[in-house]
Amino acid sequence: MISIQFYFDRLIQAFYALRDNRLRSVLSVLGIAVGIAAVMAVGAVSKGGSYLVFSELETFGLNSVWVYRDRNDKDPNRRIRKGTGLDNYDYYALKDSCCSVMEKITPMVFSSERNIIQTGNRYSNARVSGVNSDYLDINNDHLIYGRNFRPIDIKRRRASALIGPTVVEDLFGKDSNPVGKDIRIGLRRFTVIGVLEEKSRDFLASIGSAGGQDANNRILIPFTLFQQMNGSKAINFFHLKARSLEEADLLSEQAKAFLKRRNGKNYQYKTETMATYIGTADRILSGVAMIGVIAASISLLVGGLGIMNIMSTSVLERTREIGLRKAIGASQTDILMQFLLEAIVISTVGGSLGLVLGASASIILAMITGFPLTPTPLVILIALVVSVIVGVASGFLPARRASRLHPVEALRYE
Amino acid sequence: MINLQGIHKSYHMGDVTVPVLNGIDLTINAGEFVAIMGPSGSGKTTLLNLIGCLDSIDSGEYSLAGEQINTLDDKSMARIRSQHIGFVFQLFNLIPRISARRNIELPMIYANINKADRFTRTSSVLERVGLSDRATHMPTQLSGGQQQRVAIARALVNNPELLVVDEPTGSLDSKNGEEIMQLFEKLNAEGVTIVMVTHELDIAAYAQRQVHLLDGKIDQDKS
Ligand SMILES: Nc1ncnc2c1ncn2[C@@H]1O[C@H](COP(=O)(O)OP(=O)(O)OP(=O)(O)O)[C@@H](O)[C@H]1O
Ligand SMILES: [Mg+2]
Repeated sequence: MISIQFYFDRLIQAFYALRDNRLRSVLSVLGIAVGIAAVMAVGAVSKGGSYLVFSELETFGLNSVWVYRDRNDKDPNRRIRKGTGLDNYDYYALKDSCCSVMEKITPMVFSSERNIIQTGNRYSNARVSGVNSDYLDINNDHLIYGRNFRPIDIKRRRASALIGPTVVEDLFGKDSNPVGKDIRIGLRRFTVIGVLEEKSRDFLASIGSAGGQDANNRILIPFTLFQQMNGSKAINFFHLKARSLEEADLLSEQAKAFLKRRNGKNYQYKTETMATYIGTADRILSGVAMIGVIAASISLLVGGLGIMNIMSTSVLERTREIGLRKAIGASQTDILMQFLLEAIVISTVGGSLGLVLGASASIILAMITGFPLTPTPLVILIALVVSVIVGVASGFLPARRASRLHPVEALRYE
Repeated sequence: MINLQGIHKSYHMGDVTVPVLNGIDLTINAGEFVAIMGPSGSGKTTLLNLIGCLDSIDSGEYSLAGEQINTLDDKSMARIRSQHIGFVFQLFNLIPRISARRNIELPMIYANINKADRFTRTSSVLERVGLSDRATHMPTQLSGGQQQRVAIARALVNNPELLVVDEPTGSLDSKNGEEIMQLFEKLNAEGVTIVMVTHELDIAAYAQRQVHLLDGKIDQDKS
C-alpha cells in the first residue's frame, strides 16, 4: 500500500535538493511568483475597469429601452414626416395597452430652439427635457433635495422643474438648496421642486458616444407643458423600462410591433436597449482583459522556462547521484517523480507567494476604488492549480531525461 | 546463488562495437567471498555491473537467487537491486547535502519501509559498521574510511544476500583499507555473499576465491 508517508518522504527529498541550491531555487520561485502575481493583478485591474463601466452604464437605467421613429420608412404621410413621427396618441396607447413586459414609460420632449435660462443676472446653458413622473425611476435618477413630479403636475402642466447640480451651481451657487425658488425658461417662470443627484459618466464621456449630453447639466419639466410651449404634440422618443434586463429585447420587439400595428405598415420604428450596450461593453472589456491576461501569462511562461532551465542544470549536475539512486533501488518512475516533485515544489511555493502578492494588490485596489475586487476562493484555487501545472509542464522534460539515464553511464559521469 | 552462462557484452561507440565480455561462465554460491581480478580494461567493472543488475546482458543466461534476470524490465531490475543487492563503490557515492543517517535511509525509502523501522534499522546497521556516534555527521565531516563505512552501512540496510563491491579500498590509505576489508570479512562470516573487484593482490587475499579476467574471458579461477 502506498501511504502518505511515501509522498512525504519524497517531498522531504525535494526540499533537501532545493535547499542545496538556495539561490537558484529562490530565483526560480520568484520567477513564478511574478508571473502569478501579474496575472492576478491584470485580472483585478480589468475587473475594476468593468465595474467602472457598469457603474456608469447603470446611470442610464439598466432595463432601459429607447423607441424612435425610423426616419427612413416609406410613410407617404408628409404631415407626420415633418415632425418627429411620434405623438401623444402613441404615448397613451403604449402606456395603456402595449406590452406585458413593460414596467414604465415616459415620453421625451425637446425643443428645436434653445431657451434662455436665467435667474436674476445668472444664466445656465442646461438642456431642457419634457418628461413624466416615471422618468426618474426609468432613468435611475435620484433627488438630493425636494420631490419628484406628481402625476397631477404633469396633467395640469404645472410650471415646476427638477434641475441638475451644474444648473444649481450656475444659477444659485455651489451647495445651495434652491427648492422653492424660481427660474426662467424662455418666457415662463418655473418653480424648482427638486435637485438631481450628481451622476458620474466621466469614463463613458471619455470614450465618446454617451458623453454627448452632460447628465449634471439638465432641467426636467412636465412634457405636457413643454409641448404647449413648443406649440406641438410631437414627442422625440420614448424611454421605456422593461421588467428585467433579460426582457429588454422582448420589450423592444413588442413596442415596435405594437406601434406598427397601430399606425400601419408604412411606419417603421427603431429601438435601442441598454442590454445591447452592456453586451457591447462586455465584449470590449473582455477583449481588453484577454490581452492583459495573455501579456501577464507570458511572464508566467518565462517563469516556467526558468524552472525548466534550473531543473536541466540540476539533472546534469546530479548525474552521478541519479546513477547511485538507481543502484540502491530507485526505478525510472522514482527518479521521474523526484525531479517532477522538485519542479512542483518550486512552482507551488512561487505560486503561493505570487498569490499573496497578487491578492494584496487586488485588495489595495479594492480599498482605493471601492469595487469588490478581493480574490474569490475560485481565483485562489485556479492560481494554485495553474502553479502546479506550470511545475509539471516545466519539470517534465528534465525529469524524464533524468529517469532515462543509464545507471552505469550515470555512475561513470565526472 | 549466482549463475552466469555464456555471457557476452559489448559497448557501442558510434559505428564501432567494443566487445568487453566474450563468454563468461561463472557460478557463485551463497556465502562465498569472491574477488574478481585482472588488468585494467579487462571488463571487471562491466561484469560486476551485470551481476549487480545495473546493466543488461547482450547474450547469455543469468539467474540470481532463483530469478531469471536477462528478460526483466526496468521496474523489476530496480526491485531486484532494492531487495537482493547492496552496492559499494570506490568513490563512496554518498549524497553530500544529507547526513550519514539520511544517506543510509535512502534505499529503505525506495523499498517503502516506514519511518520508525527506518530509524531502528539505520541505528543497528551503523553499529554493525562501528559508526554509531557519527549518524548526524555530513559526508564532508567524515574521513574517507568513515565515508566508506557509511556507504557499506547503506548497502547493508535492506538486508541483501549479495554485496557487489568495486575497488572498495581504491580511495583509501592502507590502514583504512585494511579496516574496511576486516569489516567485509566479518560481514561475510555473518552470511553475506560478497563479489568484489580489485587489482591489488593483498586485498584479493581477503576473499576465499579469486577469479582472474583477461580480455573478457575467465583466465583463472582459484580458491
Ligand atoms: N560505457 C562504455 N562505453 C564504451 N566503452 C566502455 C564503456 N564502459 C566500459 N567500456 C570499455 O570496456 C572495457 C572494460 O571496461 P571496465 O570498466 O569493465 O574495465 P575494468 O576491468 O573495470 O578496468 P579498471 O581496472 O580500469 O577499472 C574498457 O576497454 C572500457 O573502455
Ligand atoms: Mg573498473
